[in-house]
Amino acid sequence: MIRVAHLPVVITVVAPLILAGSAAGPGALLAQARPGDAACVRCHLEQEEESLVRPVVRFEEDVHRAAGLGCLDCHGLGHEGGEDPASGLAFLSKPSAEEVVRFCGSCHSDAAYMRQFNPSLRVDQLQEYRTSVHGRLLLEEGDTTVATCVDCHPAHEILPPSDPESSVYPQRVADLCASCHADPALMEPRGHETDESDDYREGVHGQLMYEEGDISAPTCNDCHGNHGAAPPGVSSVGNVCGECHTTMAEFFEQSAHEEWFEAEGLAGCAACHGNHDISPPDETTIGLRFDDVCTQCHDPRDPVALEFTAMAVFLTELQEEHELSLAALEEAENAGMEVSTALFELDEVSTVLIRARSAIHSFNYHTVEEVLEPGLEITEAAAQRAEEAMEEHRFRRVGLGVFAGIVLSLVLTLLLKIRQLEGVPSRSDGTIPADKGAHS
Amino acid sequence: MDWLLGTSLGGFLVAVFYPVVSYIIPPETAEASARSVVLGFNPLDVPRNSGQIFKFGSRPGILVRTPSGEFRAFSARCTHLDCTVQYRDDIQHIWCACHNGHFDLAGRNIAGPPPTPLEAYDVNVRGDQIVVSRRG
Repeated sequence: MIRVAHLPVVITVVAPLILAGSAAGPGALLAQARPGDAACVRCHLEQEEESLVRPVVRFEEDVHRAAGLGCLDCHGLGHEGGEDPASGLAFLSKPSAEEVVRFCGSCHSDAAYMRQFNPSLRVDQLQEYRTSVHGRLLLEEGDTTVATCVDCHPAHEILPPSDPESSVYPQRVADLCASCHADPALMEPRGHETDESDDYREGVHGQLMYEEGDISAPTCNDCHGNHGAAPPGVSSVGNVCGECHTTMAEFFEQSAHEEWFEAEGLAGCAACHGNHDISPPDETTIGLRFDDVCTQCHDPRDPVALEFTAMAVFLTELQEEHELSLAALEEAENAGMEVSTALFELDEVSTVLIRARSAIHSFNYHTVEEVLEPGLEITEAAAQRAEEAMEEHRFRRVGLGVFAGIVLSLVLTLLLKIRQLEGVPSRSDGTIPADKGAHS
Repeated sequence: MDWLLGTSLGGFLVAVFYPVVSYIIPPETAEASARSVVLGFNPLDVPRNSGQIFKFGSRPGILVRTPSGEFRAFSARCTHLDCTVQYRDDIQHIWCACHNGHFDLAGRNIAGPPPTPLEAYDVNVRGDQIVVSRRG
């Protein structure tokens, strides 16, 4: 066993620079190192090259370190080409792309081994990787420029995905993928575009992710898969979007369009909404989409165009009525009136609007109308309640004015009466004349 | 003068007693915000494996009766984009139709985009009344 305290440590200038971002100092790293790792840590800290120092420094925060693993568990013994006398395994210095995949997979595919660290961890990553575009290119075609495990999960500094500093934290995934997919040198030879990441950021999902901080919004891996990353096929797009947009997918599946789209080779949802630069849907875009997309198959004079326009008008009407009713109720509420029941009922209209936008995917006016009708009834009732509340508010204000007038009048009249009574001359014996006393 | 005094006094009494009478006989409106609410249905009328939306202040709540007969209540606002959730008796989940968000019968977000669990309320059954209260 190597005794850390007896090791002559010569720390280079590189280690402190890297350690600046770490909680531990060089001495602490040595002290914390597992007995078998101390020699590795000591030697690597003495190196001049940043790439040799960094692994031992960063590994302190790595999930594998937290699970109790150390240098020897992955690299084995027998430095520089030697073999571990116990296991006979050769020292693994810097594995090749293919070795990385097999090496990580050797533990991460072993359910019995992984269970001791986290029984709920998946063990199909390697299996999925083999089906991915990355995996097929590497393992079948020998293309070593594709992503392997360590390109997304940097070796020696792997953090849990829930850690905002992790390379696979939801808000960092698009940048991670873009590090290759936005690189023309890597993508152009393959005939791939390089603007997906920028498009994603401009689209509705990217806006939710980055502008509203909603990390539940989908990012690259939610649609493409992570270890099994591949573009969804034309016929699968609806299933991918339908994972979240369930009701829209159901309406679309029930419509005649699903069959027609498949026959025409149109990629379901993406045919109208695009893929990475999905614009936030609103009623105004329905008409535009008709000109842009529907006319590829439909004649602009087709009666269906009128039906589609009518859906947009109906939706816009409910949206506007909802906003007006809400504003009226809020005005009444701010005026101190009790309108909570109407606000509660009006709340349902937001859901009706979302259902109606889903129902558009039935491409049937009557289906949309059926969904929207109850919403219009609710907004009408809410507007009426707001009007009644404001009418009551006006009545109360007038009542308050009248009450104030009455009180003022009463006070003035009393004052006048008192002065009148005080102005009556009393007799020398203190009695009041009979005719005056009768009035008091 | 006496007529004016009598009229003012009469008006004053009307103005004082009108709000008193209005208070004693209030219009049929619920309170604006509440820490607890008595639901308008009998516990015996709520079947097992079902859910009902109720008004909690000006916001929707959902009362769930589990297949084992236990009552549970949560905010019915989905924690994703505020849509109103519903109970799915086929999968025994609280479900949001907007983006396919699933919550289990403890209100925990278990699938789909909702980032956090539903706010849970306390439920007490008192005779033929169900009382739902905000926690804390």
